[in-house]
Amino acid sequence: MRKNLLITITALLLVGLMAVPVFAQKTVLDFVWFSDGVEGEVLKDIIADYKEEHPDVDFNIIEVPYNELNTKIKTMVAGGNPPDLARVSNPGELSSALLNLNDSIGQDYLDNFVESTHPYVMVDGKMLAIPIDVTANGIIYNKDYFEAAGIDVPDTEEELDDLWTWEEWANALEKVVENSDARYGLAYDYSPHRWSTLLYQAGGSFFSKDWSEVTINSPEGERAVEFFVELHDRNIIPESIWLGGENPNTLFRSGLTAMHFAGNWMLTNYRDNIENFDWGVAYMPKGKIRSSVVGGKFVAGFKDSDNKEAAVDFLKYFSSQEVNAKFCEESLFLSARTDNSKLNYSFGSDMFEIFSNELAVSPPEAGSDWAYNEAMSRIYDDIRQNIVKSIQHEITPKEAVENMEELAKSEIENIEN
Amino acid sequence: MYRWKKKIAPYLFVLPNLIIFSIFIVFPALFGFYVSFTEWDVLTSPEFIGLGNFIKLFQSADFWAILSRTLIYVFSVVPITFGLSMVLAIILDRNIKAKGFFRAIFYLPTMLSFIVIGVSWRWILGNNFGILNYLLDLAGMAPVNWLTNSTTATIMVIFASVWARVGYFMVMFIAGLQGIPGVYYEAAEIDGASKWQQFRHITFPLLKPTSLVVVVLSTIQAFKMFGLIKVMTTGGPGDSTTYLVQEIYQQAFQVGDMGYASAMSVMLFLILGLLTIVQFKVSNRGGNAYE
Repeated sequence: MRKNLLITITALLLVGLMAVPVFAQKTVLDFVWFSDGVEGEVLKDIIADYKEEHPDVDFNIIEVPYNELNTKIKTMVAGGNPPDLARVSNPGELSSALLNLNDSIGQDYLDNFVESTHPYVMVDGKMLAIPIDVTANGIIYNKDYFEAAGIDVPDTEEELDDLWTWEEWANALEKVVENSDARYGLAYDYSPHRWSTLLYQAGGSFFSKDWSEVTINSPEGERAVEFFVELHDRNIIPESIWLGGENPNTLFRSGLTAMHFAGNWMLTNYRDNIENFDWGVAYMPKGKIRSSVVGGKFVAGFKDSDNKEAAVDFLKYFSSQEVNAKFCEESLFLSARTDNSKLNYSFGSDMFEIFSNELAVSPPEAGSDWAYNEAMSRIYDDIRQNIVKSIQHEITPKEAVENMEELAKSEIENIEN
Repeated sequence: MYRWKKKIAPYLFVLPNLIIFSIFIVFPALFGFYVSFTEWDVLTSPEFIGLGNFIKLFQSADFWAILSRTLIYVFSVVPITFGLSMVLAIILDRNIKAKGFFRAIFYLPTMLSFIVIGVSWRWILGNNFGILNYLLDLAGMAPVNWLTNSTTATIMVIFASVWARVGYFMVMFIAGLQGIPGVYYEAAEIDGASKWQQFRHITFPLLKPTSLVVVVLSTIQAFKMFGLIKVMTTGGPGDSTTYLVQEIYQQAFQVGDMGYASAMSVMLFLILGLLTIVQFKVSNRGGNAYE
């Protein structure tokens, strides 16, 4: 009897031990993620669907605030424990750690995605990430305030021939402050990326399209700084944003400003948080030309990851037409896929159309400048400092663009060396 | 055997602390020192460049501007903190009413993290959402750009830094005051010394050891002040409240130049070391006050 019991226990233990490798074989993908709105929840749904088809794969979502994203990834890489996947906005900045997808997915795959995203993911001939969604800078406005002031805001295609000039825009913003409860005309994001919209509208750029020349020191660059300073001098933009770090979203949401210069990523936030006034998206004014600035979010694998094959498989799944459509529709994003240009949004289709139209007329430099991650990440903060010093009248707009030029040249020299 | 055990025991007791101290302080510090001689973006291997980062540092006009701003900040915060904490200690060491309550009130900020203090002051001083400007508005006065003007922002950062730590040093001074024998004051009074003379010739000299600790600690704290400023002004407007540690963070984690950031850290270490040595030398010059 005792012998039988011993045999049974031994058998059970052996079965148990044999079962351990079965569980251990499950691949767990570490996925570093950040959210602007509800996309983290949408990702979880997509992962649940994926896991039904791939029961041997599990995910460890490491959610971090956007500001901490690169620090987190760099720390993980430096510690010899890189994630398997990450959602990033600047693949070039992490290029030395990312997985080259040329062989596993192939560069032809990029043909499925809008061209403006290509310079972001192609670094030295290597495809380092897959575009998922694109972003467009633009303006969101308080409909109640503009109605109260009797100002018509261009927000339909029929009004495209009659868009505001910069001066008309500034005057309209002053008028809305005079004739509504708005304290200021415009909340403008504390970001050189957002400021650069004015640069492209003025006809300028930071670099030539092939990055061979620094072009910021131009009359157009100077005009863009000058106009931005003027918006502050006329108290249209509260100086508390660029000089005091006050949150522009809060200023707009609380009804203190009549307009917010941000981008399409703010739509879910405002849909969920603004209740006491009606709001919409308007076409931006034109300088010499019309322009928005394209940006994007990408998903990349890591070359030192232990699960490269599983990561690539998920990348293909996540960027496929059907899954990408679900992700962008439910997150309220503009898709980076050309075959998902028309999506069925449950909210604000007309607003997305405005952002898409703005992107369609933007010059190539509005994309290529910001795809030059290696240089941009080094000069980003100094661009901001020079604009701030101009607002403070410590330097002239001319000196600001001269400083930016000098700095960009010196950093490019450092990169080349 | 017993003698051997007796010899080894103290080392075993300090061993856990030594291990933790080495892992989290000594090795990272030595590694940081090594990194200061390299070019390193974290993602690739460090490349040895000798004194390259230090040469770049000394040639950078930005570095000297930041260093001079840092010195202005430190040499404002330290004397004010020192003077104020000593005055508060002397007042609250006397037999006044609600002494315990006032001690608690002044000590309270030191129990908060610098982040919480920074956020609180930001909400008090904000241009549009700040409580102070709201109160000024209620009183019919024009709002003040507390944090969007370089001068007022610097003053406010100094003020918040002093407010955050004055209670801590006040407690140290109170402990120092309580260690002074009362007979000195009795003898001085018999000799007809005024209160000022008593302070000058008894209190101040006998507080010298405490004063030295307060000056050294507050200097180190001021040089290392990061969280409070990061959330209160984010180094602005522009870079007017960007000091050495903010710039180190910026270079390391925004620009991704760990070598350059480490070179700045080494400079900060040398400055702090030098100042501490000077403070000890100056303090020792007068000899022991009890002698």
